[in-house]
Amino acid sequence: MAWLCLVSDLLVGIGKVRSALSPLFSRLNKPGYCRAMLQPLTIFMGQLGLVARHGNDATWWHEHLSEENVQFLKKTTAEEYKAQTASKLCPLKDEPWPLNEWKPDSVRVGVVAVKLGMMPIWTKSGKKHAVTLLKVQDCHVLRYISKEESEGKTAKLLVGGKNVSPFFKSEAAMEIFKEAGVPRKQKVTAFNVTDDAIIKPGTPLYAAHFRPGQFVDVTAKTIGKGFQGVMKRWGFKGQPASHGQTKTHRRPGAISTNKAAKVYRGKKMPGKMGNIYRTSFGLKVWRINTKHDIIYVNGSVPGHTNCLVKVKDTKLPHYKDCNKNPPFPTFFADGDEKLPEDLYDEEIFQFTDLSVTYA
Amino acid sequence: MAAVAMAAACGRLALRGAAARPSRCFSFSGCRSSRDGETAKFQPPPKPVIIDKQKQKEERRYLSPEFIPPRGRTDPLKFYMERKDMIQRRKVFNIPEFYVGSILAVTTADPHADGKTKRFVGICIQRGGKGLGATFVLRNVIEDQGVEICYELYSPRIQEIQVLKLEKRLDDNLLYLRDALPEYSTFDVNMKPESRLDHEEIPVNKLQVRMKPKPWSKRWERPKYNIKGIKFELPEKKMKAAQKWSQPWLEFDMLREYDTSKIEEKIWKEINEELK
Repeated sequence: MAWLCLVSDLLVGIGKVRSALSPLFSRLNKPGYCRAMLQPLTIFMGQLGLVARHGNDATWWHEHLSEENVQFLKKTTAEEYKAQTASKLCPLKDEPWPLNEWKPDSVRVGVVAVKLGMMPIWTKSGKKHAVTLLKVQDCHVLRYISKEESEGKTAKLLVGGKNVSPFFKSEAAMEIFKEAGVPRKQKVTAFNVTDDAIIKPGTPLYAAHFRPGQFVDVTAKTIGKGFQGVMKRWGFKGQPASHGQTKTHRRPGAISTNKAAKVYRGKKMPGKMGNIYRTSFGLKVWRINTKHDIIYVNGSVPGHTNCLVKVKDTKLPHYKDCNKNPPFPTFFADGDEKLPEDLYDEEIFQFTDLSVTYA
Repeated sequence: MAAVAMAAACGRLALRGAAARPSRCFSFSGCRSSRDGETAKFQPPPKPVIIDKQKQKEERRYLSPEFIPPRGRTDPLKFYMERKDMIQRRKVFNIPEFYVGSILAVTTADPHADGKTKRFVGICIQRGGKGLGATFVLRNVIEDQGVEICYELYSPRIQEIQVLKLEKRLDDNLLYLRDALPEYSTFDVNMKPESRLDHEEIPVNKLQVRMKPKPWSKRWERPKYNIKGIKFELPEKKMKAAQKWSQPWLEFDMLREYDTSKIEEKIWKEINEELK
């Protein structure tokens, strides 16, 4: 009986007046009451050490809101997003930070893109290459971190990718986006940038930031394969399928020597494979579509379809000549130059031409 | 009442007819006279069927299979960009309608050939790939050597695709011609193109092919290949044994259903507008 009184005291304390446990339980079975009634119970049980709590608050954003309010909030956020993107469409008129000239030493920003898929293209000599389509979707500069603030050697610019809903994150995470006046982004990355290439937070970045003929590095999280054995993960040969092998066909075999008397750190063993950041270097940009903001990049790129990807100018010294005179610090859509819908590399075969002949 | 009136009218007209031309006798409305006994219902004469050839041509739609996007989580924007390129290529270069089983002649540009072009005639045994990477395989037997060449529909090296004989076969996939007698894969290299009217339906060639003796490259008698175009001369026991590998639940599997009718409609409209 003593603990029954404890329960009632606790519940009174939380603000719900209940005298006995039984009406509580009967109410638990009715729809719509579940979580609200479970809360005080779980707090009590948690204090007794009986139930594990998940998540930060164990509620969702519209738990205590009525349906009308939910619909209203959704509508207003959509309108707010549209207004925010519209307000950032003319960065040059918005007092941009001083625009400098490109120098061979300057490093400019990159872009966050969505990997759409792959496609074949042909060159004018008839050779076939595979390209990946990367769509630059709602890319904005979010924050400028000066050299002194960041512990590195260069200034940093935080850039955000695709727009997502603001509801499932805490207020603290939304601060960056509020400062920049920009909808919440799915991916936020930092680019190391020289001081003459800094851009005002809130500027949109487009696919025309890159030009055909340039070379880029693309970084993304690889496809996660889960927990994998040593043959798939590290390419070990395993053991033969027959000739007396007892229950040993895909095992690593020996893991160290006798003399070492220990297993070295970093020994290749089974474990979680994939879902780590990897970069493909030196990929040629074949084509840019300015209407839909799509970059056609040579070869394959890490990550699954519709994953977010970080695109930068190459760091490989071999392609330094090809990356000369890019749009610096970035391409401004409301600037003077009006680009055609499609920009092609010189060698690419455009489908408006007639078939290739070797005369 | 009506029947009696009709009979009366019949009789009168017959009399008149008989009076005018005594050698002939007319029968009206299927010869319903009072001889029947039962009251016969009036059936109007059969309406003449008007075959509107223009309408038939419009109604027969053909959407090339590489336009239909495969099932997956890819953004439709990617397929849209590919389709734009495909339509652009079709505006400049004519890719005719053809099916698996039609005989085609393809001329490609080749830097190592005399006159820089190469012509190959063959029967289309397989159409694969979606989007710009769509391919088709042509097969022919030249000087007792079977030759198969896989061409990409949208490759810029192709100068001309000519359909010599447009027809369908009983199967989607004629890979079994590799194990059939060579006479079924030989086609004359200097064949003349067959002329056909626009509005006619595509003829289906119900040819049943005779095979070389086993072993074959694949066990074509098994139900998973679902081949109707082979004349199996195997003993009954073997055919029954092959049915052991049948999977009759597959046709009822709802997760494998992919209804492309609405997608096809949209794509057809899009393409028609562009290619007009």
